[in-house]
Amino acid sequence: MSLHNMSLHTLPKANSAYEPTLIDDSGARLDNGWTLLADDEVIGSDGNYILSFERALTELDGLNGRYGVRLNAGQDVRQLAPWLDKIALIEAVFPTYRDGRNYSTARILRQDYDFKGPIRAVGDVLRDQLLLMLRCGFNEFIVKDRDAAEALASAKARFTTYYQSAADAHRPTWALRHKVSA
Amino acid sequence: MYIYDAFDHAFARDRVREFSDQVRRRLAGEMTEDQFKPLRLMNGLYLQLHAYMYRIAIPYGLLSSRQIRKLAHIARTYDRGFGHFTTRTNMQFHWIKLADAPKILEELSEVEMHSLQTSGNCIRNTTTDQFAAAAKDECEDPRPWAELIRQWSSNHPEFSFLPRKFKIAITAAKKDRAAIRLHDIGLHLTPEGFDVFVGGGMGRTPALAHRIRTGLSGSELLSYLEACLRVYNRYGRRDNSFKARIKILVAALGPDEYKRQVEEEWATLDKSRIDPPQAEIDRIRSFFPAPDLASRPFDAAAHERAKTADPEFARWVKNNLNPHKNDEYVSVTVSLKPIGKTPGDVSHQQMDLLADMADRFGNGELRVTHEQNIVLPHIAKADLYDLYRELDTVELTTANIGKITDIICCPGLDYCSLANARSIPLAQDISNRFADAAYSDKIGDLSIKMSGCINACGHHHNGNIGILGVDKQGVEFYQILLGGRADENAALGQITGKGLSAEDVPAAIERVVQLYLQLRTDESERFIDTLERVGRPTFAEALHEPA
Repeated sequence: MSLHNMSLHTLPKANSAYEPTLIDDSGARLDNGWTLLADDEVIGSDGNYILSFERALTELDGLNGRYGVRLNAGQDVRQLAPWLDKIALIEAVFPTYRDGRNYSTARILRQDYDFKGPIRAVGDVLRDQLLLMLRCGFNEFIVKDRDAAEALASAKARFTTYYQSAADAHRPTWALRHKVSA
Repeated sequence: MYIYDAFDHAFARDRVREFSDQVRRRLAGEMTEDQFKPLRLMNGLYLQLHAYMYRIAIPYGLLSSRQIRKLAHIARTYDRGFGHFTTRTNMQFHWIKLADAPKILEELSEVEMHSLQTSGNCIRNTTTDQFAAAAKDECEDPRPWAELIRQWSSNHPEFSFLPRKFKIAITAAKKDRAAIRLHDIGLHLTPEGFDVFVGGGMGRTPALAHRIRTGLSGSELLSYLEACLRVYNRYGRRDNSFKARIKILVAALGPDEYKRQVEEEWATLDKSRIDPPQAEIDRIRSFFPAPDLASRPFDAAAHERAKTADPEFARWVKNNLNPHKNDEYVSVTVSLKPIGKTPGDVSHQQMDLLADMADRFGNGELRVTHEQNIVLPHIAKADLYDLYRELDTVELTTANIGKITDIICCPGLDYCSLANARSIPLAQDISNRFADAAYSDKIGDLSIKMSGCINACGHHHNGNIGILGVDKQGVEFYQILLGGRADENAALGQITGKGLSAEDVPAAIERVVQLYLQLRTDESERFIDTLERVGRPTFAEALHEPA
């Protein structure tokens, strides 16, 4: 066996090296029925299309129907407020798992705008951040993990105490302590 | 002090389980080091020059005797018999094995401690006045608010991957002992509510925080902090980690525009879901009752006789005590700056004895100060000499609080992989130079703060004399700053002239000190007062003239 092959066999494969899987917040695998359009591609008359943030800002006004919009980290979701009724899906990108900007995006969508559609986490989406994403209002995930459903289940089961309220159903500890609503 | 309820215990237990699983996956190779790094950092585990360094949170610097005994046990069992207190009032162990970390975390949870969020780009340990609940000049005990913030910021889902680390400090006293204007957020509690200061910090770009709100009600504190953090999370720079702290954002926007954005964001928040009810604030407050101090008549004549018979004790009484609300009591600061030793280091024997002293004389309570010393907050004057003699058996009676040898110093190149310079040996050299007690007392209050690199863990920007280790083409040298202060008149020190070699620094400091002694109007004019009156250039000149 060559040294090269040996290192392949002895080095375990990191979970994140597996093919990403699209799941919802119950862990069920989803078929991605959406097509991400480049800005110079024509928007078809039927089908589910995801537009870039810039394109959504300039074109949603003149479009009928409902679209997905992809937000890169740093793009201001508040600018989409006038057209939220035309938006059926938000894809929020984590360029690296260390970039936490889109946690705020999801909470603003859920808690300020009461956005009911799916908010999908894409990019560097790893098992150790799934709980934070769930709590901020994400409900679809393209997870880089060997077993996306198990990763999600373990994230959900990890804690029983949540000190603060966020966009999910968990009540903050103070509400449970004093049996008040929050 | 705050006592965990079932919710807090469950959180700590879940946290141990989570981290144990992460360590297991890392050791099994399921995670890359790059993916493991922020997770271990969030749990206080750094990979340093020689070993893993483990940083344990001491929330708002408060320790019970039981907790410091546990730290002594960890030092004995998992490290080399000693620990190190940091300027964030945490404890670091420098010789830890990765495989032991989950076990240590489990031991800590037995005494309601953890290492959560002692590193990483998240909200760190909130610090406060080391004399809380004892000082005469405070309007209320700030610690319940620090505990409220601790809980709110633990595993905060939106603010766990901020652009950079985030530090909050609170004081409720007139005299600022918590350096609040050098924090990302500084809170000054007055009878009218919180004054909120944002955008202070040290590091590469030191800045004093700007006041953006006065009189904020405690019942709305958390939602206001949430708005402050959200603006930072969304708009703080992420392209350059040296430009990522909130001070850079506040400076770029201007404090008025930052404040406008915070207020706008605050208006969108559902405060009723974020801010706890008064009952929760009252519940937390109930764990911090005014200390129950028995009346202890003080025999002033006997005390004077002891001082006359034991001049070392007299010096210690003069330098290491702080007045207490109750005139029969004082707060004692135990110096961890013995002459010529490493600032902030403490052995397991010393920790055990401190625990015994707290139990015997001080309501079982201790505080860690950001100056890297230990406070016994409630000591009867009648017990002072007994306490002193016990402390003396483990070399804990150095009488130098606030003096030139009470040096704040980071671990430096002896431990830290970020450092450019060896800060500890230089701190030791300076300490030795001013070892003479009478000389040190004559100089009076003077703070020296030293960092081994630009990250400023040793707070060099706010020392009366600041020392910054730098590396130029492989040669270590030291820049000297003058005029910094961390109190209610906070100011940033200014760099003076070119750097000095380590050998030249102690003599240069001595020239500055000699000039001060010549120029001061009388003994009541402290070094910083003279420097501000005469101006930095005069002192800078003395610093750089040949010996």
